[in-house]
Order: sequence, then C-alpha cells, then structure tokens
Amino acid sequence: MTSSTYEGAQGPHHASGAAPVALEAIGVVKRFPGVLANDDVNFDIRVGEVHTLLGENGAGKSTLASMLCGLYQPDAGRILRNGAPIQLSSPRAGLQHGIAMVHQHFRLVDRFTVAENVVLGSRGLSFKLNRAELNDAVAAVADTYGLPVDPTATVGDLSVGQRQRVEIVKALYQGAEILLLDEPTAVLVPAEVEKLFENVHAMTKTGKSVVFISHKLGEVARISDRVTVLRNGRVTGHVSSKGQADAKELARLMVGRDIDLAAQRASHPIGHEVLQIREVSLVANGVNVLSNISFNVHEGEMVGIAGVAGNGQRELADVIAGLLSPTSGTISIGGAMSTDRGPIASRELGLAYVPEDRLGVGLVPSMSILDNLLLTRDRNVVVDRASVRPEANRLIDEFEIKANGPEHLARKLSGGNAQKVLLARELSGGRTATKLLVVCSPTRGLDVGAIETVRRLLDDARSAGQAILLISEDLDEIMSLADRVLVIYRGAIVHETPGATASLEQVGAAMAGLSQAGGA
Amino acid sequence: MRAPFRLQFEQRTETPRRLGVLVPLISVLAALFAGALFLLATGHSVGDTYSNMLSDGFFSSTGITDTLGLSTVLICTGIAAAFAFQMNLYNIGGEGQLYVGMIGATWFGLFFGENLPSFIMIPLVLIGGALCGAAWIAIPAWVRARLGTSEIVTTLLLTYVAASLVNHFIYRSGSYFRAPNSMFPQGRQVPDSAMLSPIGDTKMYPTFFVIVLLSLALHWVVRRTEFGYRIQVISDSPRAARYAGISARRTTVQVMLISGGLAGLGGATLIVGSFQRLDPGIVTLGYGYAGIVIAALARNNMAAVVVSGILFAGLRSGGDKLQISTDTPIHIGVMLQGAILLFALGGEAFRRYKIRIVRTPAVVSEATA
Repeated sequence: MTSSTYEGAQGPHHASGAAPVALEAIGVVKRFPGVLANDDVNFDIRVGEVHTLLGENGAGKSTLASMLCGLYQPDAGRILRNGAPIQLSSPRAGLQHGIAMVHQHFRLVDRFTVAENVVLGSRGLSFKLNRAELNDAVAAVADTYGLPVDPTATVGDLSVGQRQRVEIVKALYQGAEILLLDEPTAVLVPAEVEKLFENVHAMTKTGKSVVFISHKLGEVARISDRVTVLRNGRVTGHVSSKGQADAKELARLMVGRDIDLAAQRASHPIGHEVLQIREVSLVANGVNVLSNISFNVHEGEMVGIAGVAGNGQRELADVIAGLLSPTSGTISIGGAMSTDRGPIASRELGLAYVPEDRLGVGLVPSMSILDNLLLTRDRNVVVDRASVRPEANRLIDEFEIKANGPEHLARKLSGGNAQKVLLARELSGGRTATKLLVVCSPTRGLDVGAIETVRRLLDDARSAGQAILLISEDLDEIMSLADRVLVIYRGAIVHETPGATASLEQVGAAMAGLSQAGGA
Repeated sequence: MRAPFRLQFEQRTETPRRLGVLVPLISVLAALFAGALFLLATGHSVGDTYSNMLSDGFFSSTGITDTLGLSTVLICTGIAAAFAFQMNLYNIGGEGQLYVGMIGATWFGLFFGENLPSFIMIPLVLIGGALCGAAWIAIPAWVRARLGTSEIVTTLLLTYVAASLVNHFIYRSGSYFRAPNSMFPQGRQVPDSAMLSPIGDTKMYPTFFVIVLLSLALHWVVRRTEFGYRIQVISDSPRAARYAGISARRTTVQVMLISGGLAGLGGATLIVGSFQRLDPGIVTLGYGYAGIVIAALARNNMAAVVVSGILFAGLRSGGDKLQISTDTPIHIGVMLQGAILLFALGGEAFRRYKIRIVRTPAVVSEATA
C-alpha cells in the first residue's frame, strides 16, 4: 500500500482527478524578527482529506497554520479558498471562510458549560440565552460527527481529551469546513488518541478537511492521506501516503539525514540495587499525591515511569531528589538513607537529576554554560571559574553542544543543546560520581535529531552501570528504552511489566486508570 | 484614521554593549533638555542657569570637592539600593535605614567617644551605624523571607517610623541625643574622637575613598564569589535555586541586611563627617530616596553607582547653589533628578527593543499581487 512519491520541494498542484482543492497557499512567506519562519511555502488541502504538516519544532508548521486560519498575515504569497484569492485579516475572517484552528493550548472558559463555551463568540445570540435550545443545537452538531460531549457539563470538570472534543465541536458549530489541529495528540493518552482518530475519520467522511499538525512520525503515518514535510521554514517534501507512509522516509525528510530510534535495552546483567523506595507516601494540602510507592532501580538498569501528566510523577522525582520530604516511607541511594536530608546530601550519595523544566529549573537562563555547570557542584567562597573552564570545553566537545564556548548563555541555547548541557552536567558527576540518574521527560519538545542523541546518551549511561529512572509522558520513549515499565496513576504504581514484552494497550489502559489490563 | 507612519518595536536578541553607556548618557541629556523647556517657560536663561550649575557642581575646585563630599552618602544609599536590586528585592526604605544609622552612629559616638581614641572610634561609629541600619531592615527581611510580605511596603512604611524616631530623640526634653544647654532643640555634638576632619580646605572627608573602595569590593562580591553566584541564581530562577539546594530564604535575609547596613553606613558617614550630630533636618534631604534613582541610573551595577552617585551629587549641589547665587528656584535641581530617573527608565526600552519607524502600507484592503 505504500505509495510514497517524493515530489521535491516545489510540487503543489495535485489536480490528479481527486477531490477539489478546498484551501491553497501559494508561495507564502512569513518573517519574524531574525527568523524566516515560512519561505515560499506551497500547501493545499482537498475536500474530505487529512493532510498532515510534519516538521520539527521551529520548522514553521504552526506559522503556516496560523496564516491559513487568519491569525497571522503572510508577508508575501497568496491564499486561495475554492480557487479564489482571499484575505484573512483575523481568525474571525477565517471562520467566515469556514476555516478554524484548534490550538494546542485550549481556549475554553473552565467555569462555563460545554454549550456555553461552544456558542461563546458566536454572533446573533439573544441577550438572554435559551439554554435548552443551545444544548440541543450543540448536541446535534456533536452527534453528527460522533463526538460524544455532554452540553451541560462544566468544562473545568472534563478530561483533557474531552476538552479537545469541545474545541472541535465548537469549530464545527461555527461552521468550519476546514479544521486545523495543532499538535492535537500531544496532550492525549493512547486511548484518547484512538478516539480522536475515529472522530477525524468521521469528519472527513462528511466532506470536512483536516490539517493535522504533528512531529510524531508513527501517528502521522497512520492518519494522513497526504503529508507535507517542512524543515527550516521550507517544504522539503510531499508524500501521498494513503494511510501508510514510511516513517523512516518521513524522518529523513524532516531532519535531513537518516535517524535511528530503534528500541534499546540493557545489554548486560543488571547489578545491585542503587535506589530503594519503600512505602513512600506524600500528602500535600490534604491530597494524597503519592500513595505507598515501593520499587528499586539497579545498577545498569533503566526503569521507566509512565503516566499522564499530573499523576504524581513530578513529586515522585522531587521526593527522590530530596527536594520534597515524603509524609511517610523511606528512600535510600546506594544503600544510604537519603530521606529528609535535602538535595545536596542526596547528590553526595550519587544522585543526578534532570528535571522536566530545563530552563528555569535545571539551568539558569541568564547564566553561561560554565556557571550552569557549577550549579550542582561544590563552589568555593570565591568562585574559581578558570579551573572549571577546561572541563566545560571538554564537555561541550564530548556532548556535541552547539555553543560559542563556555561563556554562551543558557537561554540562547536551543532546546536540544540546553538538554545536552543539563545531561553533560548531571552525567559527569559533581560532588561524587553519578550512581543514580533521575530524568524527567528528557526529550520533550526536542527535534528528532536531538531525541536520538539524548536517547543514546541515556543508553550509554546505562551501559556504564548507572541506575536510571526515566519518568516520561512519552509512552513510545519509555517503551523503547526502559528495561522495566511502571505505570503511575493518581500517585500509585498500578502496573508493572518488563519493557521488552510490554504491550502498548495494557500500559495505555493502566495510564488511563483502567487497572484491569486489556480494557480500553 | 490610519497614520502614515507607525513605530515598530523589535525585540533585540542581543543588547549592544555601547547602549549600556549611551542610554544613561542620553537620558541625562534628555533630562537637561526637559529642564531647559521648564526654564524657558518660567523666563530663565537656559545657558546661564546650566553653566552656573555645571561650574558649581563640577568644574570649579570648590564645586567638585563639594560634590565629592556630598556624593559619599549618595553612593552609600545608591549601593544599598543596587545591592538589594541584585536579587530583585526593592529596598525602598534606604531613607529610614539612613536615619536609624545616624541615630546609631551618634549613640556610639556619644557613649564611647570620651574614652576611646579616634582610630578606634571612627570605625566603631561607622560599623555601629551600619549595624543599626541593618537592624532597621531586619523585620522586613524576616517577613519577606518567611511570609513573602512585600519588602517595598514594609521598608517604605518603616521610613516614616524612623523619621518620627529622629524627631523624638531631638525634641523630647532631656533626650540623650539633645544638646543639653540649649533652649533651641538641636542634637548634641559627638566628641572630637568620633569626628573626621575634612581634607584640606574642602567639604570632602576621607570616608569618600572608603565608600568608593566598598562599592568596588561589592562589585567583586557580586561577580566573583559564591555569595554573588547564589544571588544571581535566585534572582533569575528561584526554582533552579531550590533544585540546587540553595536557600532563597537565608540569602534573602542576608542581602536585605547588607542593603540596610549600607544605608545605615551612609547615615554614619554624615555623623563622622559634616553633620557631627543627630540633626532632624536630615528628614528633608531625601538622601536615601536619591539612592534608588542613583542605582537605577547605574542599572544596578555596583561599580557604576560611584559614577552616577557623583553625577547626581553634582547636579544637586550645583542646583542648591543656584538658589543662593541667582533667583532660579531650587526645584530645578530636584526636577532634573526626577527627569533623569524617568528618562533612564524609559531608555530601557531602547536597550531591549530596536525601535523603527515604518511606513504603513498605503493599500491594505486589496488582494496582494
């Protein structure tokens, strides 16, 4: 079925007997200060198809989508709707042409009901809302596309997946024919992704067009009719995939070289226990954030903690790192008790910690790479930068950090290079040699190329005998790296399975709170 | 409806180094220009006023030494404000800490002065003043670190308490600080051992050099020491500080105590220098508040405070003399200080943004070709 046709950088006009083109961008250019975000981009979407915009962060996907929906205006180029040139001065103008965008960060009012949110911003509402009528109208739109939402529910009570559905219903209610979905799966658990894909198919069947924006190769290959790949603001390829694009080819178009993201496991027997967590619970503001968690991580082993954001992962990492004291239970690192002894004592026992937020927690943005290396190390009363500079230079070389040298400011690093600085510092040990590495979402927001590097670094650290606890919301990452997978749900470990034989369905179900494995 | 031109603000990724000097310089010039408009409007000669002011402030031998003498206390309150700003702490109450520093310095002078030699007394009085200034900020520091209470409000309000305290110690009959044999309420002079003599025939005291060295030393502390490193981490990202095991609470208290101590030291330099006694007139001079402006003009660079402090002292002392020699209102000097602050803060926009005037496209509604 794989009929991948590479059409080169300038291959816009598909008039090959398929459905008519609903919306087309020809040669659009968008500049931001210092950045050419879109450079002569051609893109078109036909009636009833899913056309994916694929690219790394900063490739210009969102910029293009924002121009298509009227949020930005192109500096040059044309936008055609059903073949006629249009001028989109605002998102409202976009809506009038039947184009709507569902943003990555939802724009809903938590205290309003679903129906109230859906009609918010619509014109021609009576001063006093007739709720029953609105509820019926909203439900009717939702049913047409198989989007189950309760119009009377308060948005604040809904799950992330449900909120996204509300956003989609809102766009449809406002008369959208073309939906632009900006990274819609970034916030969803696997079961919700399935549901979203069903909804997308239901919409395209009735003649709606969907522009799907993503950088996740696997799902792109599954859902798209066509894929347009962007790199550095330019189109690097069009692929007609009919549901089965070659992920390797897409990655190559996206990054510009071959990429290897194959699964990696411990290649040698694991050693002694390095991290021991015994019945750790944490109560904060009367809420059980962590309940009765026990597990170990051994030398040369990588344990993955999977879970949807907000289920206690962040707090678990902070407890292990000594930043939070557990309400009960004990933690030991390398056989020595570290509970309640603070971050510095934990580090002296061999802990290294890569927090989820790179800039602002792991790194100080206004400081140089050199000063950031000193953050978790011993500093004399007078900071001796000269003696650290050779090491900083060595780490910049060794970790292939793109920087002008040790004085390069952290905030001027790209996401991938900032993560490399963080890993360089944490893996190279500070107060003592690193025995235990706790990493949170190490590749979130990174480009495919940087993801590859970061994964290799983690794998190397494991091979060197370090114990690694990988906490991530990216299930693919955990499944392809961890030797053992634990699932955290509402502060408790609800599922444990060896990484090599883990099933995506079972882990996904456990993440969603369906502890009976297999249900979905 | 549509203007033919509009201003476009473009965020700078990199601030050119020269702007660090140019912006404050142009701020001063712009303030002088604004002052000139005021002078013209009130029928004064701009040229005469400014040339008198500059020569009285900087370009005559008595002018410059008077300026350096006055700058001593202003640099002190300037580094007090700038040091707290290093950690995004706003010590607005340098004025009050200065009063309390004066009270403390006077007490140390009066209490020990008769029995101790000068080489012990001078440091003792200076340190005593600094300790009292630090004590005055201790409560704001503690509640800020512990409860997050805004130090802006607490330090400012305590200034009014400190002013009342100064008046209390002078106007209460039988007060330890009040001159005993005078009907007119005034402070008791500290003993000779607690006084410095001015340098030659000037109004400059050796404390000027001490304070300049202190500014440079603090500049070094901020740049080169572990303490300065901690301050930078906390001011930039408190969560990174927590991650690294740096206690923001402890550092907050330390920084604020030092800031208060520096303002108190400023008060003490007045006692060992030109004041020699607790003088209730201090509450009208606003040396402490001026420190905030001086720090802002120096962009909180501890070493640059020396320059902005001297500049400020010159404007002020030149402005004061105008009043005596001509009929120009004294407020021209005060107004210029305010204008400098305003322009210096406004000038920040030029450091952060590239501002361009662009022509608005004539036709917008038609489809682009």
